[in-house]
Amino acid sequence: MTIAEEEIRTGSPPPPADAPKEPVGRGRLVLDKIDKTFPGTQMAAVRQLSLTCEPGEFVVVVGPSGCGKSTLLNVAAGMLKPEGGRVLLDGRPINGPGPDRAVVFQDHGLFPWLTAGQNIEFGLKMSGMGKEQRRHRVEEALRMVHLSQSGRKLVHELSGGMRQRVAIARSLVMNPSVLLMDEPFAALDAQTRTLMHAQLQDLWVQTRKTILFVTHSVGEAVRLADRIIVLHAHPGRIRAEIAIELPHPRNFDSREIGELVHRVRREIEDEVNRVNAQMAEYWKPQTPDDLGGHLVDMGGGI
Amino acid sequence: MIWAVILLTWEGAYRVIGWKAYQFPAPSHVLDSTLDMLNVRAYFGQPLHRGWPWRAKNQLPDERPRSPIYRSPLVIAQLVSGTRLVVGFSISILIGGMLGLLMWRWRGVDEFFGPLFLGMQTLPSVCWIPLAILTFGINESGILFVLVMGSCFAIAIALRDGLRTIPPVYQKAGLMLGAGGWRLYRYVLLPASLPAMTSSLRQGFSFAWRSLMGAELIFMVWNRGLGFLLHVGREFSDISQVIAVMAMMVIVGMIVDRWFFAALEKRVHARFGLQAAR
Repeated sequence: MTIAEEEIRTGSPPPPADAPKEPVGRGRLVLDKIDKTFPGTQMAAVRQLSLTCEPGEFVVVVGPSGCGKSTLLNVAAGMLKPEGGRVLLDGRPINGPGPDRAVVFQDHGLFPWLTAGQNIEFGLKMSGMGKEQRRHRVEEALRMVHLSQSGRKLVHELSGGMRQRVAIARSLVMNPSVLLMDEPFAALDAQTRTLMHAQLQDLWVQTRKTILFVTHSVGEAVRLADRIIVLHAHPGRIRAEIAIELPHPRNFDSREIGELVHRVRREIEDEVNRVNAQMAEYWKPQTPDDLGGHLVDMGGGI
Repeated sequence: MIWAVILLTWEGAYRVIGWKAYQFPAPSHVLDSTLDMLNVRAYFGQPLHRGWPWRAKNQLPDERPRSPIYRSPLVIAQLVSGTRLVVGFSISILIGGMLGLLMWRWRGVDEFFGPLFLGMQTLPSVCWIPLAILTFGINESGILFVLVMGSCFAIAIALRDGLRTIPPVYQKAGLMLGAGGWRLYRYVLLPASLPAMTSSLRQGFSFAWRSLMGAELIFMVWNRGLGFLLHVGREFSDISQVIAVMAMMVIVGMIVDRWFFAALEKRVHARFGLQAAR
């Protein structure tokens, strides 16, 4: 047990959502030596990748674009079949998408013909839950994401942040073992994103779901994660694992977070540069001195 | 407004220049003809005189009894054509919808039929008439065959294209939420395809209406549709009736398109938050 976890268990105030106790060991997601190559490409998107998410752990996967992080998530969700390896959830193998591994998509994936409330209700309806119970659960879920007033709105009437919150509620209402999030906040503006980070953290502290979160933003990763997995691109493999042992809920503006972001960024910088070099678009940020020297030369011959 | 000006100018030019009514009629003649087909006698087209427009000039009133308006040729023709349209278009939706769905679901079907159907769309629907006559004979089935052939390919192609634009994320989301098998079709793909369906229906209708009019013009069967009235007008060299029936075809087509299909499309688009239809 890390220091961070201990602090959560013992720290005050006690997390209120510890009340509905989950069965022990629920939400252990194991990816075991996954191989995945897309047809028509020689390069493996993911090769021999193993990753274990412990129950209640918040794992964030970062890496440059095209490094296979979305592939990884889709394999875990059961949307993609890996060529090799297995995916286990609480010891049971996975062979397809299902409500035990709820996904929050980057572009929310809400159904535009349904209202926000109906979107949340959809999965419950599919599971055959009774009408009265569904209504109750939907109300609860809407309250949880602070959208009690917007249940009757159509998807296009919601803002980007509200849509993502509905998408999260739609996933959580299924009471999944694992929550899989595929760059869920990438399309939001910076302010909304910060708000969403805080709300997601709250939700996680309340529900203690296992979360596998994919992003290309280091800041996002450090704010949210218990553990950051840095992926190596072409082929996708794990390059580094960084435990973030700060207690939740975190103050995103704290100095520790800033320092950690800096440290993690340095760790993945090499990787980003390597990928960019492969794509023949190598660009390294210049120091102010470089720029200054350049400017001094300008117009020198006039 | 602009239409009123055009029609008035036309009418005025006719009165001043004195074109022959049997070469090219004035709007008033067309109006007379339309009313005549509704079993109402009117003489708007004649010069102003005592009793205009309800009594003819220098002519004994026609005292033969006429059947009431609801049994007039035009009303009957509308009913006959309308029934054919409903029956034929329903068949067309079933066949076209099925073909479109198959083409969307299986690539092989699409590769085989896609180009063929596109080719069929270039074939004017009246070109199906000889085949229909030889295969089905001169009867209702023949007319329906032409209508179905004229519209089902357009529906199939439009539906396939529309279904292809459904974002794959809906399917993923549906599966993730436990909607597998037929429930994926019923609760995810069917509603997701509504915008595509309404557009394909709208397009299919205009094809169906055109095919039906063409078929009725040529098929001489006992039940007389709009196309038949057009044919009669030609047979009797009644140019006013020809134009009156043509105008009627356009009006019916426009009304159904605007008040039914466009309205439907608009509602669906509003629900989906897409840009309002035109």
